[in-house]
Parts: sequence; structure tokens; C-alpha cells
Amino acid sequence: MEKYEKLEKVGEGTYGKVYKAQDKITGQLVALKKTRLEMDEEGVPPTALREVSLLQMLSQSVNVVRLLCVEHIEKNGKPLLYLVFEYLDTDLKKYIDSHRKGPNPRPLPPTVIQSFLFQLLKGVAHCHSHGVLHRDLKPQNLLVDKERGILKIADLGLGRAFTIPLKSYTHEIVTLWYRAPEVLLGSTHYSTGVDMWSVGCILAEMVRRQALFPGDSELQQLLHIFRLLGTPTEEQWPGVTSLRDWHEYPQWKPQNLSRIVPSLEPDGVDLLSKMLQYDPANRISAKEALDHPYFDSLDKAQF
Amino acid sequence: MARAFISLRLNPWGDKRKEREKGGPNLCPRSSFSRDDSPPRNCPEIFLAARGATLPDRDNCSGFPTSQGEVGVMEEFDLENPFQELQESEPVASLFEAESDHMPAVNVRRFMNGDFDVSFRQNAVSLVMKARFSCRFDPFVAYLAINYLDRFVSSQEIPRGKPWILKLVSVSCLSLAAKMKKIVFSLNEVQSEEGFIFDCETIRRMELLILGALKWRMRSITPFSFVSFFLSYFNFNDPSLKKCIKARATEIILKAQNDVKLLRYKPSIIAASALLSASHELLPIQFPFFKKEISTCIYVNKDKLFDCLGEMQEVVMDGYDSTFDTVYSSETPVCVLDRHCSSSESDKTSGAIMEPELKKRRKMSDFCKQKTLQLSQIQQC
Repeated sequence: MEKYEKLEKVGEGTYGKVYKAQDKITGQLVALKKTRLEMDEEGVPPTALREVSLLQMLSQSVNVVRLLCVEHIEKNGKPLLYLVFEYLDTDLKKYIDSHRKGPNPRPLPPTVIQSFLFQLLKGVAHCHSHGVLHRDLKPQNLLVDKERGILKIADLGLGRAFTIPLKSYTHEIVTLWYRAPEVLLGSTHYSTGVDMWSVGCILAEMVRRQALFPGDSELQQLLHIFRLLGTPTEEQWPGVTSLRDWHEYPQWKPQNLSRIVPSLEPDGVDLLSKMLQYDPANRISAKEALDHPYFDSLDKAQF
Repeated sequence: MARAFISLRLNPWGDKRKEREKGGPNLCPRSSFSRDDSPPRNCPEIFLAARGATLPDRDNCSGFPTSQGEVGVMEEFDLENPFQELQESEPVASLFEAESDHMPAVNVRRFMNGDFDVSFRQNAVSLVMKARFSCRFDPFVAYLAINYLDRFVSSQEIPRGKPWILKLVSVSCLSLAAKMKKIVFSLNEVQSEEGFIFDCETIRRMELLILGALKWRMRSITPFSFVSFFLSYFNFNDPSLKKCIKARATEIILKAQNDVKLLRYKPSIIAASALLSASHELLPIQFPFFKKEISTCIYVNKDKLFDCLGEMQEVVMDGYDSTFDTVYSSETPVCVLDRHCSSSESDKTSGAIMEPELKKRRKMSDFCKQKTLQLSQIQQC
């Protein structure tokens, strides 16, 4: 690991700190993530083996942050694993914040929103086609190269606990804002739709420059959703009232979505509404979304 | 659509299990496989939970599902379908793009030149195969283990004159392959049959060395990953015929792994050749059509395919009677194949060729009925 010089702590992922570091020879900037390998009688834990090799495979997509190498070292006899990722200078949260606050507040250019959404969907489609759910898509997990207009999904793999935690190891509250209603209602059989819900929330946030559903508890999160999209019914979403955490909720009527994202063109609103379908079975898939008319004006060849 | 999605088990609260004590003789020659061992400074730690790690009680900290089995099933690593949706064009393209990363290193020729390396590999392969039969492994586990072994051995200088290294590498590759395929087996059982036992620490170290050398790319892209893709070029109307060709191609791929000469071909080329070989045996009339179809695939280098097919034919034919061997051990295997094919269609063949050919054909039609065929059966005819 002498190969890298640690420069600064750049973030706190759900599961640990991430450092910005530099390759001492090539000068290349990297993001370092450290994990401890818990060994048992069976040697290298099978879970770690499968997870890291999966990350290796996923990082082939240009819209997934690239895993450059895996370094194993022993510190005081304890095996440690460093995951070395490519480094990007900012993330979508910071990017949106810079357009909302600061000296020059302005909307994100519509072409940028379109391009970022397309790249996000490409990355998500890549993960889904490899049988992997991200489950925690949010602007902080989307790295952005401002100069080149590139967006990449990060925090894949090392963030996907088998239950979605409420608190990270640092006791930082894990955001609920991008969480799909079926997860909030305690469904145990969720699938690719959870990521598509998050993508919808992220699209709306790029347009609005503020979160679509900023809840701070599960209940409040659900109420935010219900107030905008109407309280879900059995007709709309068969089985919803049988979900584990379903209760009786106030009855809201759905609002007009275009009023929430006034600057988004009609095709964009249509795509958004397809991502925010209550019934996960009706939600648009990432692959279908890439072919939506909203992207007709985009030069897809550049990606 | 029922699909298994990945669930990565990470324990953010840290695994409280005791660190297993290190001990036992360190048989692993650190100097030969030296890795960076120095402790990092000022690093935060996040905890990657080991298999079976128990999570602290936090059922009440959120309203979310807590049963791991229900929420996300760890995806199986299927050699035939390392990606979930092979029919989509993008994963197929990325398979072809990435396959070279899963091959033995360029200096695989070392296998072919030096006697030491050839015998090293042969011994290692036979050790893995013995374990496969004694522990009744799925053949894919053995295939994967040998893939790791080839990639590792071709990337390292293996110290000579230390036969235990061979055993340690073989056992560790087998252990890694079994973990990837989620197969539980007793390492001790394998080892004791061979008359040696390495301690866990030694195997763990070797596993890490192998992982490092292979860059943790353990979801190997193998010829099996391409079989379905190439099979789609054949346009079968009869599903049972398709099954037969696939089953026979699978056997050929397994057999081809034993031959070092074939290691230099990409997995996709091996897969395409194996399917062509299988179709040549089972459907000789259609063979020229299949050959033409597959060579139109944009991912396939035609010359490499035909070279590989020729060499593979030799490997597959290995064991037929001597007349047959003599006729087919030509230096221009592709031409021989062509002649072989046209002769069977035109019936102008000499009896010397025809006889084993007919026998083989008869056997193959039995195969289609039974849908299972051992190479030994062919050898008997």
C-alpha cells in the first residue's frame, strides 16, 4: 500500500470512510476503501470472495465506478483488503447543491439532466442485467466528472447489506428519501423496481434542486409519497394492504406530477410517472427507460 | 419473473467473533510469493463480515425486513450464465470483451515448452480430478479450479523441486472454486487421500496469493459462458437435438481442458469449436452450414476458430482406433475436416475411414436417445 499516498478523507459511505489517495508513481488519483477480512477455519470468507469478484465484473461498465485493483495486506496479523477505485472529483449531491446555493444559483441545464439520467439508467441496467440490485441509489452515490459530463454509480457491492440499515456504523442516519414504498411497507420480495423508484426520485431532484420526498422517518416518508401520488389502493397496487407494515392511512388524491417538476418537458414527466408507479410490477425497467421518447433528442452514441 | 438478486452481507457493526489464532507451521514460502505485508497507518476500518457472521440484534431499529433469505438471495455463480440475461446484446459484448482477463497469462507457452511445467500441470490437474471423483464434485467445480490453477501458474514463477507447492496450489484452487460454487467439502478429506495435510493458515495464505495474482477475478468467463450464445446460431427446430449438441459440447469442453495446447485459445473460440465438433459428430450433414454460420459471428476470429477446431478434433478423437487416428492426424486438420465431411456425404470413402465412422455415428444416435454419453463408450466401439 506504500504505492498510494493518502490525501484526505473524502466521504463516509454507509459502511466506512473513503480516502482520496494518489499513486506515488503515476500520480493517478484513486479512492481507497478498506475492509477487514474476517477469516475463519475455511480461509478467505466465501462471501467476500463472491462480493469482490462481483464488483470486479460490474466495474466493466463505464457508468459504474471502476475497481482498479484489490490489495490484500496484513496488519498486526489481521488480513485487510483495500479496494482501490478510480477517483472522481464530485458527486451528484454536491453538483446539485452548487446550482442551488452559492454565488450563482441556477437550474441544471435540461441537457445535463437528460444526459445524467441516461447514464444513470445505463449503469442501473448494467447492474440489473448482471443480477445485482444497488438498493441505495442516491445523489451522494453518483459520482460526477463535471468536465466530461460523466456520471458513474458508486458504492456498489460494499453497501448492499441484506437488510437495508437505518443507521450506518458511524450512526449517521441513512437517508430514506429514495426508498421505494414497497421497502417502506416491509415487503420482503422486492426487486429491480426499488432501484427504479430511486432513479425517479433522483430525476425529480435534478429538476427541482431539492429532494422530492424528504422524509425523516418511515411513516413520514410514506406520507410524503402518499400526499403527492395519492394513497395507494388495492386496485392500483394489488396486495398493498397485506404488506407487513401497512396501516390505515389518510386518503389523499393523486396530484398532477407536472406541477412538482414544472420545468421538465412532457416526455420527462411521462418517464418520471412511469418510474414512480406504486405497483413495482408496473414500474418501468431501466432497459425500457433507455428507449423512452424523453431520450429521443439525446445523442446516445456518445455514451 | 423470479430472479435471484445479489445481497451482499456486510456487517457495519463489526463482527465480534474472536480472531482465530494464527499458528502452525508456515509452509508457504513467503520469499517466493512475497506480497506487501506492511501495516497501513491511520486507516479507518470497515468490517466485511465473514460467512455466517451473526448480526447484533437490531430487529427493532427499523421497520425493514431482517430475514436474509427472503430479502436477497446471494446469486449463484453459474458458469454457463455468469450474467443473468445472456440474450441481451450488451452482456454478450461485455463477455467477449472481458474473456481475455480470464485466460492463462501469455507465457502459458511455458506449459508447452518446459517438461517441468507440463508435468506440474498434469499432476495438479490429476489431483483436482481425483478430488472431484472422490468427493463427487460437480465437474464445473473442477473446471473452475483448473482455470484458477492455469491462470495462477502462468502468472507466477513456481519454485522447482518442491512438490508440496503443487499440492498446496491445487488444494487452494479447489477450495476457492468450491466457495465460488457454494459447495461444501472437506479439505482434509481431499488432502488425507493424497497423504498430506496443510493447516488452515497455510491454505488461507495461498488462497490470498492466488486471489491477488488473479486480481480477484474469480467469476471466470469460461467456454461454458458462450455455449448458449453460439448455440443460437444453429437454429434448431428440435429442442432435444439442441440438448444433445449442448451436452456433447460440454463434454468436449471438459475434455479439452486437459490439453495444454488448447489453453492458448480464448474461451469463446473453445466454445464455438466444441459446438462445431459436437455437430460434426452428431449432425455431419449440417456441419458445413453450422461452420459457416458461426464464422459469420463478428466476435469470432475465423482463422483462430478453424485452428482450434482442428486441434480440438485431435484431442476429441484421441482414443479412437489406430486406423482412425492415422487418417485424422493430418497436419492440416481443417482440410481433413472438410474432406471428412464431404466424404460422408458423397459416400466415396474408403472402407478404412468408413468403418469407424459408421460405428461412431451409430453410437452417436444412441447418444441422442439416451442423452448421456461417456467418452469411454466411444472408446469401446
